[in-house]
Amino acid sequence: MKILVANRGEIAVRVMRACRDMGLETVAVYSDCDRSAPHVRYADQAVALGPNPPGESYLRIDKIIDAAHRTGATAVHPGYGFLAENPAFTRACKDARLTFIGPSAEVMELLGGKTAARQVAIEAGVRVVPGTDGPVPDNLSDADLMAVASTVGYPLMVKAVAGGGGKGMRIAAGSEDLVNAVRTARSEARTAFGDAAIYFERRLLRPRHIEIQVLGDEHGTVLPFVERECSIQRRHQKVIEETPSVAVTPALREAIASAAAAVTRRAGYTNAGTVEFLVDEGGDFYFLEVNTRLQVEHPVTELVTGLDLVQWQIRIARGERLTLDPGRLLTPRGHAIECRVYAEDPEHSFMPAPGLIRHLRSPSGPGIRDDSGVAAGFEVPIFYDSLISKVIAWGEDRPQAISRMARALSEYTVGGLKTTIPFFQWILHDPDFLAGRMDTTLLDRVLAEREGQPFQEVSSESEEAAVIGAALHTYLRGRATSSSQGRDLGAAPSAWRRAGRLDALRS
Amino acid sequence: MTFEVEVNGRTRTVAVEPVPQMDGRFRIAIDGHEHTVDAREVDASTLSLILLDGGGACHEVELVESALAGELLVRTRDGLLPVVVNGGRRRRSAALGGAGKPGEQRVVAPMPGKIVRVLVAPGDEVKARQGVVVMEAMKMECELPSPKAGHVKEIAVEVGMSVEAGRLLVVVE
Repeated sequence: MKILVANRGEIAVRVMRACRDMGLETVAVYSDCDRSAPHVRYADQAVALGPNPPGESYLRIDKIIDAAHRTGATAVHPGYGFLAENPAFTRACKDARLTFIGPSAEVMELLGGKTAARQVAIEAGVRVVPGTDGPVPDNLSDADLMAVASTVGYPLMVKAVAGGGGKGMRIAAGSEDLVNAVRTARSEARTAFGDAAIYFERRLLRPRHIEIQVLGDEHGTVLPFVERECSIQRRHQKVIEETPSVAVTPALREAIASAAAAVTRRAGYTNAGTVEFLVDEGGDFYFLEVNTRLQVEHPVTELVTGLDLVQWQIRIARGERLTLDPGRLLTPRGHAIECRVYAEDPEHSFMPAPGLIRHLRSPSGPGIRDDSGVAAGFEVPIFYDSLISKVIAWGEDRPQAISRMARALSEYTVGGLKTTIPFFQWILHDPDFLAGRMDTTLLDRVLAEREGQPFQEVSSESEEAAVIGAALHTYLRGRATSSSQGRDLGAAPSAWRRAGRLDALRS
Repeated sequence: MTFEVEVNGRTRTVAVEPVPQMDGRFRIAIDGHEHTVDAREVDASTLSLILLDGGGACHEVELVESALAGELLVRTRDGLLPVVVNGGRRRRSAALGGAGKPGEQRVVAPMPGKIVRVLVAPGDEVKARQGVVVMEAMKMECELPSPKAGHVKEIAVEVGMSVEAGRLLVVVE
């Protein structure tokens, strides 16, 4: 088997690592600006797709199939995002006699459409969040939109039918927000998924987001895993995930896992997927949606179960049977937590912050995994998701996992662009987070309360070090320039520059 | 050699003198308060500092020139600090988007990206913090607000344009 990875960034690297672990060859695809990206450098073979906009590169089914044929790839892993949940891509792979590493196109159509998935859940006897039965027609007048919304009730969520990753999702607190929320959700959904269809769902008050990983083989076995808690979200985008959840008792785990297995079994699910639920304060849970792909946050499940989910995806796609002990999958060993490091500026309302990574020091040491998609010298492009890496910490218990995470983030330096690391260093010390008192609204609430107060507090010692560093830097540069007899240091290779500075240090 | 170093709104006078016959060792006085520092360049942009008179306190600082002339971004253990050495700040107002005329405020692109919507037209009355332009980068849409109440004087971009960080978008007066 030779696997073409139809994706970029950290997930492409992560999938290729599993391939290499299994002795399988890999093929990368890339857009123009990704020529020197780590996923291209890591692969055994690489094929250019063309211009940077996703619609001209990573979303071009024809070019990707062609790349597979040209390189002799026999299977395709879609990662997450881009074409991962696109049944047309799955069909195109099948037609081209390529093994698609994921569920079938039929299952994707059934569960990928958020409204159809709700029907499946109802048929499987699982409670769903109240909402519209199907997509909201796109030709409704504002008055008709409001009439449909009033049957669901406020506050409500406007959600993209094809949605995922927090894109194409807006809250309408009341009828006055509705028209605007529908317009922006549609516009984002069209950009992100090529499908502007939306539906309405009641917004539960302060729910937790709990999800269940499943694996299904091609012989009828579907196995659920221990839950992941993803309640720390900013504007519906998960930023921290952990497993197990402090709010899930063994009995609740059993019930939610059974519900997830029931929904996916009913759909004839194969390969990896995730069933998402909202859990209210009373411990009642509601089906939300199924993600028919590998999730960003899959590593936390790997760390507490000791399994490699990507390797299992590949094994399932090869027709192997799931020989795993179901009890093991529901019994977490220790605790794991993930922070998604985004190229965004937390001090300026998480504005995207693409740019050149001048310097990179990754965290390591006990209990730390760094799934990164960038390297020093790489320019994080404006065209794609802002996720640059995921830091995952494992501990014997939750407090140890959290303190290891805080330690890892203090080791992590990304020079040249702004990242969400300072924000994580703050939230990891939040009393509600530490106590596990969280729901999907916590983060947006505490961020609003802070009113833009800076996340970082620079101590007087560090300020002094900065002053000393800046003065020394300027001094050494001046010395280097004068001792190098007019050599243009700005353009000189860094080894020359360093030698010049070392001379200055010796003088 | 003496430098004026501005940080967090304060200007400090910093004198740097190498210690003779001691590689990488310096006497550094900040506003007359003297430290002995052992400094090593651990890579092209990073200095490892040991403050010998502070019980051997270890610091690592990464120094990168910012987009603003004369400004250094210094990464410390606690985060990033903008630092200006020898008055680079005087050039600052001319850097991004240029200085506005009195009574005018300019909305500039805070990031590179694409213009997806222009929400106002020349002559429109706008409130402070009212959205004027929607930009997209990294699959996110960001609404950029007017910095003040007033009238839209000029719109410098069109829908669909790709812009660099710092590009002038809208002038409000």
